[in-house]
Amino acid sequence: MIFVATGTQFPFDRLIQIMDKWAQENDEKVIAQIGDGKYTPEHIEWQRFVGIDEYNKNIKESTLFISHAGMGNIISAKEQGTPIVVINRQAKLGEHRNDHQAEGLEWMGKLEGVYTATDKDTLFAQLAQREQLQASSDENNQNLNTLVDFIDQLVG
Amino acid sequence: MIFSSDKVLAISSPGGHWIQLNKICNPLELKHKVIYASPRSQYQLNKIGTRKVFNILDASADNKLTLIPLAVQLLFILLKERPKAIISTGAAPGVVAILLGKILRIKTIWIDSIANVQQLSRSARIIKSHANIVVTQWQPLSDDKTTFYRGSVL
Repeated sequence: MIFVATGTQFPFDRLIQIMDKWAQENDEKVIAQIGDGKYTPEHIEWQRFVGIDEYNKNIKESTLFISHAGMGNIISAKEQGTPIVVINRQAKLGEHRNDHQAEGLEWMGKLEGVYTATDKDTLFAQLAQREQLQASSDENNQNLNTLVDFIDQLVG
Repeated sequence: MIFSSDKVLAISSPGGHWIQLNKICNPLELKHKVIYASPRSQYQLNKIGTRKVFNILDASADNKLTLIPLAVQLLFILLKERPKAIISTGAAPGVVAILLGKILRIKTIWIDSIANVQQLSRSARIIKSHANIVVTQWQPLSDDKTTFYRGSVL
């Protein structure tokens, strides 16, 4: 199963259209959280919004998680042990206020367990090799421990 | 005004900011009484029974009029809960809470989202001269004077 999520802040119809097309051509179950998008897919089981427990369960039970290039989803994928493909929203297509997701894609792709795509062709290419994509582990996150200790001291 | 309670208010907008906020503040619950505030929190609550989460108004800097009722709501929460510190990862709700925190002399900590790699977020740049400390999750953005880097959520 593949879980697709657009996030809650803005719709991301382009991603849902691409995945609807892919689901039509491939024999694999795809489910999606589509937010306030206008496009409703025909080959995907979809919901507009999903509660946090179900959301995390969907990520955990998927072999691959596909989402807009939002930090939250990268963290969730890492927590649930599922590889993630992120595709950036583009300001010129009205998908976000600015192009920070395009800048983000560059360093996100360097993270373990995170793969990137920018359009239909690159997303289809990642999907074609989905069995090779590996998740990263959330154990021993020293960066997080350092940050939490620092904030703890600041709070006093 | 003296805010002598041991509470910490953790506040952010929904989505990635909220996930990062929880990643950092949930471990703080071992030592501090952390209360949370976020819009649309019904979609993103975990462990409702054990965490106090205020479902606040959804406001954004794009629509400045929405910030006024949010400010009133946050003022009530701050006066009722009297936290000793406010922590935010962004965006508009955090800016409003920190400005109120400054007036009420509560310690304020801004943790900029890990998504801001090239420069601090617009919100962080607005809040920089008002918050007690700004924390970046990217070393190159720290100057060790007003903006500090000490680890990240990833």
